[in-house]
Amino acid sequence: MSNQTKKQKKKAIPIIAAILLVAAAAVLTLILTGAFKQNTENEPDDHKGVTGYISDDWDPNVEETIGEPKKGTQIPGYSSAEMKAGETSLHLSIGNPKENSVGMFATLKLADGTVLYESPLLKPGQGLTEIPLSRTLEKGTYDAMVVYQCVLLDEENTPLNAAESGFTLYVN
Amino acid sequence: MKAKRLISLAIAALLLVMTAVSVSAATLTDQEPGGDTEVKAHISGGNPPGEVSYIITIPDVVDFGELTQPTENVDDYKDVTYTVTATKIEGLDPATQQVSVYVRDQNATANSNQDFKITNKSDPSVSFMYEVYRSESINPVDLISGNGYVGTVGWFLYGFTVQGESLTGTLHLNQAQLYGRDITDLVGEYSGYMVFYSAVQNL
Repeated sequence: MSNQTKKQKKKAIPIIAAILLVAAAAVLTLILTGAFKQNTENEPDDHKGVTGYISDDWDPNVEETIGEPKKGTQIPGYSSAEMKAGETSLHLSIGNPKENSVGMFATLKLADGTVLYESPLLKPGQGLTEIPLSRTLEKGTYDAMVVYQCVLLDEENTPLNAAESGFTLYVN
Repeated sequence: MKAKRLISLAIAALLLVMTAVSVSAATLTDQEPGGDTEVKAHISGGNPPGEVSYIITIPDVVDFGELTQPTENVDDYKDVTYTVTATKIEGLDPATQQVSVYVRDQNATANSNQDFKITNKSDPSVSFMYEVYRSESINPVDLISGNGYVGTVGWFLYGFTVQGESLTGTLHLNQAQLYGRDITDLVGEYSGYMVFYSAVQNL
């Protein structure tokens, strides 16, 4: 190997080291800014298209009453919900309270009938808090509701009475 | 020497990039003056938006049990009670707000005023009407269809302001509807579903 080649190799080492350092810095930057972050929390279930992440310990975060359990089916209700225009998810606590003995199919829709989300069967204690929407909404104030279709937990999911929880949806 | 200088430069570049990351979230420039300076506010219930602010307990199913065909053409009522409870209410100002509950038949459409019905599961053309009262006794003033039907949500049932408040009402079916009909056309299982609509409303 000639002296000149050796000299060239010696010169190349620090340059390569510098390039590697800058590359490492770039990767570090991407990691810190969350570019590689996978959204495993809200991974959709493939049961019914867009379904969101269903939790098994959904908690409506309302103080429990003490006393004899009441017969019937508990239906959650809301005062309002908020989101930004163009967003594809909504923070809304939809679920089937664990005190129930029936199943529920929940549908989020606007008063004009536009369906924004349909859940798979929610068993008692199951629910979700970040709702993946089937479409985005423009700025405005909307009348919205969650339709809870109650069903027996049998093979046919025999329907029972249903409930609708109306609320105002603010899109800012 | 050259190599040392290059490594120093690279380390300096690395430190510069890391500093930029930690600061970038708080940077404001003249070129992008925030975009939206509109100040808006709205007042909602006491609970944060998107959280459960109340829970209403509704009956799972309404079961009239076995109906019997009267032998004479006279009123022959079968009554069953139902209960709706405000199981939990949070962040509501009872002086100005209530959880309003409305009810309608599952097959009612907008402004249809449709009666409540149970329908033969194997022959949907056979159905019987029933009335819904907001009390255990059958008083005409408590017949819910005595009040106006609201848009698509149904008949106003009750306004709850306090956690634990309950309403026990009655479903009232006149078996005289079965009188004089061929019983073989009527036998079978019947079902009908009620839809309960609830919302926080200002008083």
